[in-house]
Amino acid sequence: MSLRRHPVAGALALVVVGFLWIPILAVAVNSINQSSLMVSWGGATVHWYSLALHDPNVRTGLTTTIEIALGSTLVSLVIAVSGALWWRRAPARARAVYDAMVYARIILPEVVFATALFFLFLKARFPLGILAIIVGHSVWNSAYAAVIIQARLVGLDPAIEEAAADLGATPWRAFRRVTFAALLPAIIAGGLLTFTFSFDDVVTSYFLGGNSATPLPLVLFGMIRFRITPEINAIGVMVMLFTVTLMGVAVAASTLVGSVGRGRRDALAEFYGQ
Amino acid sequence: MNGESSVRLSGVEKRFGDLVAVRSVDLDIAAGEFFSVIGPSGCGKTTTLRLIAGFERPTQGMIEIAGREVTGLPPYRRPVNTVFQSYALFPHLDVFENVAFGLREARVRRAELRRRVAEAISLAQLDGRERAKPRQLSGGQQQRVALARALVNRPEVLLLDEPLGALDLKLRKEMQVQLKDLQREVGVTFVYVTHDQEEAFSMSDRVAVMDHGLLEQVGRPEDVYRRPATPFVASFVGLANRLAGRLVGAAPGERYEVDLDHLGRRSAHGPPGLAAGAAVTVVVRPEDLRLAPATGPQGGPAAATVIDVAFLGAHRMVRLDAGALGQLVAIGQGQSTVVPDDKVVLSWADDDAWVVAAAAQP
Repeated sequence: MSLRRHPVAGALALVVVGFLWIPILAVAVNSINQSSLMVSWGGATVHWYSLALHDPNVRTGLTTTIEIALGSTLVSLVIAVSGALWWRRAPARARAVYDAMVYARIILPEVVFATALFFLFLKARFPLGILAIIVGHSVWNSAYAAVIIQARLVGLDPAIEEAAADLGATPWRAFRRVTFAALLPAIIAGGLLTFTFSFDDVVTSYFLGGNSATPLPLVLFGMIRFRITPEINAIGVMVMLFTVTLMGVAVAASTLVGSVGRGRRDALAEFYGQ
Repeated sequence: MNGESSVRLSGVEKRFGDLVAVRSVDLDIAAGEFFSVIGPSGCGKTTTLRLIAGFERPTQGMIEIAGREVTGLPPYRRPVNTVFQSYALFPHLDVFENVAFGLREARVRRAELRRRVAEAISLAQLDGRERAKPRQLSGGQQQRVALARALVNRPEVLLLDEPLGALDLKLRKEMQVQLKDLQREVGVTFVYVTHDQEEAFSMSDRVAVMDHGLLEQVGRPEDVYRRPATPFVASFVGLANRLAGRLVGAAPGERYEVDLDHLGRRSAHGPPGLAAGAAVTVVVRPEDLRLAPATGPQGGPAAATVIDVAFLGAHRMVRLDAGALGQLVAIGQGQSTVVPDDKVVLSWADDDAWVVAAAAQP
């Protein structure tokens, strides 16, 4: 990868990286910029962070967002895992229908689902708010989780459950110690992805939130409509750090789960206990 | 077979919808026996194994293991363990935990568990690889983990479903010897399914040949080879020259008199109970077929022309065009002098000929 040998590709790469990183850098820099106009450097400050952290709208927005993200992740994982387990033994035709439904939820525009659910909830007198948003997010989140979990399931030898039964495991034990355990890295990855998607969603939340639920992205959206303050930058940086930390934890967790089984811990405990 | 019975199938039948995978199989496998089931793909051998393991329930019949009926028991309640064709190792567990799986399910105490797993791992020559994941192992090593994972539970019967199928020829040959040694060492009954008759013959005490869900013959490898019960067995097990004819009647010395097409009357050994007048096939193994240079006038009934000679190391295999008799094969050290297009005369000792009832022609 030499810029000199491929000047065009190199220049293009620089432009892309620039467009990706310069705005992020600008956000980070301005989040500690004393000058509220964000055009010149006025010295460092943590004022905007303190402002953001004490802003009641931001705080309730964050709590709402996390509640929604957790709820939607849980619902999506349950749907995706049970769907994947059914899918594995289903006839080919039923599988094709299921797959089409999964991809439709990914491909069709979010506004379409959001509008449709909005009218449905209205007709059914289902109250708009956190619960409605969780349902809305789970529509597409469960599809993303399904794709990730199915990819792992396809790579598993179907005979491993028979092997577990052969070695004395009851069906429930075989599921827990073999199928579920082998799927765990994919479940963690899928959960992380759905949590992140839910965390920064605007469209579905906007349609289904009603008056009672305003998650963080909608709070930010509301704030920039009046004026742009460096407080938004501080929130952006914090959200970014939070997401990166989450990623790190998830990667660490999946490697840990990958390499250390229950028995390994037992063996270690045994070793140190003696 | 002497000794107590390890696996007994009585009138076992398995249907999948309209398909009959296994039909009225009776089988008695003795404790400590190395027993192989061979046959072409789709013959029902793997289904038979899965019936013993408990992955399938028989439509009819009874299965006993070590004198206890297990027909209705699920796999996790049967004293058998399986080595799967795909190995089916647990991808998220390391070698140690794969091997320990069954012992943990059986709630074996820690100290004993560690000892037995270590024992099984060194038996499988996997010392030092305890913490490796299955995907980090070679095919041969994975195979040995699968073996250790099954044997560590000290099953009454070890079931092996084409366990060497995924290995290359050289490794296969090595593993055949190791498996046989291992079986002698641990004394566990092995039920071994393969489509490779040579593999089965080199390891087994007894062999069952299956075709279309039916047991065609059960016996020691040599008996199955020398005294096939049906034309199918004769052709599935090794190379066979098959000569068509008609049974004339019994001859002295437990033989039959046979009128062979184009060759006239010969005598041959055969299973008891063949009826006079029946269409039969006389089997002469390639190593029993003798070739002599044709000296007299051409065109005798047993004359043949050499098509080609293949060098097999210790032996040579000669393919022959025997006119109306079709293509025949001879194998032996004495055939080394012939070359393609040589005219030869065929002969064999009556003691080496074996007669079976001809397959019913549809």
